[in-house]
Amino acid sequence: MAITNLSGTRFRLPFWRQLGDWAPTGISIIFGYAVLFILYFPIVMLMILSFSGEPNTGIPGDWTITWYEDVIFADIAKRDGEAYGSNFRVGDPLLLSIMLAFITAVACVIAVLIVGPILPRIKWRGPFLVGFLMPLMIPGIVGGVGLFMWYRLVIHVKMGIWSLVLAHFVWAFPFALLAMLVVASRFDTRLMEAAEDLGAKPWQRFWQIEIPILKPGIYAAGFFGFLLSFNELPFSIFMRSGQDTLPLYLWIQSGAHNTTVPLIFAMSTIVTIGSIGLTFVAIKLAFGGGKNDVK
Amino acid sequence: MTSSEAGAGGARAADDSPVLSVQNATHQFGSLVAVDDVSITAGRGEFLTLLGESGSGKTTLLRVIAGLERPTQLGGIFIEGQDVSAVPASRRNCTTVFQHYALFPHMSVGQNIEYGLRVRGVSLSERRERAMEALNLVRLPETYDRRVHQLSGGERQRISLARALVTRPAILLLDEPLGALDEKLRVDMQVELLDLHRKLGITFIYVTHSQEEALTMSDRIILMRNGNIVQEGPPTDLFDRPGNRFVADFMGVENLLEGTLEAVSGGRASVRVGDHELGGIWSGGDAPAAGTKVCVAVRAERVRLSNESGEGREDAVNRLPCRAGITIYKGKYVDRTLDTDIGAVKARIWDHEADLADLTSLWWRDDECAVTLMEAEDS
Repeated sequence: MAITNLSGTRFRLPFWRQLGDWAPTGISIIFGYAVLFILYFPIVMLMILSFSGEPNTGIPGDWTITWYEDVIFADIAKRDGEAYGSNFRVGDPLLLSIMLAFITAVACVIAVLIVGPILPRIKWRGPFLVGFLMPLMIPGIVGGVGLFMWYRLVIHVKMGIWSLVLAHFVWAFPFALLAMLVVASRFDTRLMEAAEDLGAKPWQRFWQIEIPILKPGIYAAGFFGFLLSFNELPFSIFMRSGQDTLPLYLWIQSGAHNTTVPLIFAMSTIVTIGSIGLTFVAIKLAFGGGKNDVK
Repeated sequence: MTSSEAGAGGARAADDSPVLSVQNATHQFGSLVAVDDVSITAGRGEFLTLLGESGSGKTTLLRVIAGLERPTQLGGIFIEGQDVSAVPASRRNCTTVFQHYALFPHMSVGQNIEYGLRVRGVSLSERRERAMEALNLVRLPETYDRRVHQLSGGERQRISLARALVTRPAILLLDEPLGALDEKLRVDMQVELLDLHRKLGITFIYVTHSQEEALTMSDRIILMRNGNIVQEGPPTDLFDRPGNRFVADFMGVENLLEGTLEAVSGGRASVRVGDHELGGIWSGGDAPAAGTKVCVAVRAERVRLSNESGEGREDAVNRLPCRAGITIYKGKYVDRTLDTDIGAVKARIWDHEADLADLTSLWWRDDECAVTLMEAEDS
C-alpha cells in the first residue's frame, strides 16, 4: 500500500504491515478458484475422457471418437435390425426425454401465464407464494415417493408418460413461476388501463400489451420447464414404467454394465453441450432484443 | 352552469347542448366515499378544471367519466347526449392523458401514438399519416421511430397527449398531466395545452391540485373537497368571490379574519372584527342573519401601508393601526407581516416606493376584499 503524505512524497509500509490488507482478499481468491475447480474439473475431465481410448482408467490419451460413433450408430443399427457391438441404446430415452421436456415446458408457460400476472396483485399473496414455491424445498426423493403413493394408491394414475409429465411439471413449475414473477411483479397494470382507455378490448390488451411485456418471463418459464424436466432424475425413478428417460437410462447404465461407461461419458458430453447451447439461445430470445424495451 | 363564459378558451361550436353530463355519481372505496352524489356538465369546447387537494375525489370523478371506475351509484353519464353508463371505457368517446404517462415501453413512439387507431382496425398508411399529424401537433415530428425510454419527461407527456388526441375524441381527460414536470416546463406546457385546446375545439376536462394552473387555463373551475363540489364558476369568481373560507384559503388568500356579520346591503357586508368595523363584498351566496360568524378575506397584495392617522377619510372603513413585524425579501416583491390588535396581517409590496419604514396603519379598499361564510361544519 502506497501512502502519499501532504508534501507529496510516497513511501511504502513494510511488507508484514501490508499482510493484513491483502490476506483476506487472497483467501477469497484462492477459495473461489477452489470452488470453480471442484465444480468444473469432473465435467471437463469427463469430456476429455470421452475422447480417450481407455476412459475407465481415468487417464486421458490415445485419442479417439469411437465412443461417439458407438452412441450414435448403435441406435441406428438397432433400427436397421443389425446386431452391433454395444447394447447401449440411447435413442428412445433421448426421444422420450425431449418429448417430456417439451410438454413440461408448454405446461409451465401456460400455468405461469395464468398465475403469474395475478399473483403479485392479490392482497393475501404470501400464503399462495409459499404454497407455490414450497416444492423447491422438498427433496426430490421425498416428492417422488409421495407422488408415487398418491398416483398409484389414491387417484390411480397409470405409471407412464403422463405420470412422468405430471411429476416433471410439479418439479419445474415453482422455478418457472419464480422466473415469471421477476417480470410480472414489475408489470405496470396502469398500462392495461391506458390501453383500455384508448379503445383496446380485453383480448387486444392481453395480446398486444400484457404478453409482449411479459415475454422475458414467458421464455424463462419455458426454458426452465424444458431443462429441469430434461435433467430430472429422482421423480422419474418413481414415475417410470417400462420407459426410461435419458438421465434415468444413463444412471441405470452406469450402475449395471462396466463396458458402457465410456459411452456414458460421450453421451453426457453431448447432453452438456446441448444444454449450454439451449441456455444461450433461451437467454438471447428472452433478453436479446429486450434492452430497448426496458423503461 | 352550462353556458360558456368568456374565459381563456377560444372558439365554440354553435351547439349549446352539453357534451358531457354526469348525474348524481357516487363512488365508494370500501367505507370511504370518494365521490359523493356529484353532478357536473361540460359544454362543447369548454376547458373545465376539476380542482382540489389530494383525496378530494377529483381524479376518481375523472376515472368515472373515462369508464375506468364503475361508480357505486349513478344517475347517468351522457357523452354527446348518449347514455354511456353501461359502456366500457374502450368504447367511450373520450381519452385520458395520465400523470404517469402510461406509454407502452415495448413500442416505439409511433406505435404508441397509433395504438388507438390500431385497435380500431385503421389501415397502416392512414395510421402513420394521422400519427405524424398528431406528432406535429405536439411539435415532436422527429421522434416517430424513437423508443419511449429515450425521451425526456416533457417529451413523454407530449407523446401521451398525441396518443390521446389521435383518435379525435369528443372529450380529452387530463389527470394532473403536468404534475411530474419541473416548474419551467410546466409553465411552457400550460401555454401549449391552451394553444391545442384553442386549435382543436375539443372539450378538455383537466384535473389539478394547483390553483395557479386552474386559473391560467380554465373557462370554468369546479373546486372539490371530500368528494363534494364546494364551488364552481369562472376563475375570476373563485379568485375574487370565494364562497366560503375554505375556497378563499385554497385560492391562496393570505389574510382570513374571523368576525361577526352586522349587515349585508347592496352586495356589501359590514363585519365586526374585534373593535373594528370592516367592510367588503359579500361573496357567500344567500346572506345569513346578522350575528353569524363570517370571514373577511383579503389578499396580501391588496393591503396598503400608511403613516397617516386617516381619521375622517372616505376609505377609513378598512383601516387598522399596526406595528411592523417581520419582513421577508422575495426578489420581485417584499412580504411584510404587520401586527394589529386583531392579529397579524400580511402585506405584499411590489412597488418599493410604496414600502414605508415608519408605518402606523394599514388599509385596503372594501371592493378589493371579500366577506364570506365560514366553512361548513362538515362538507
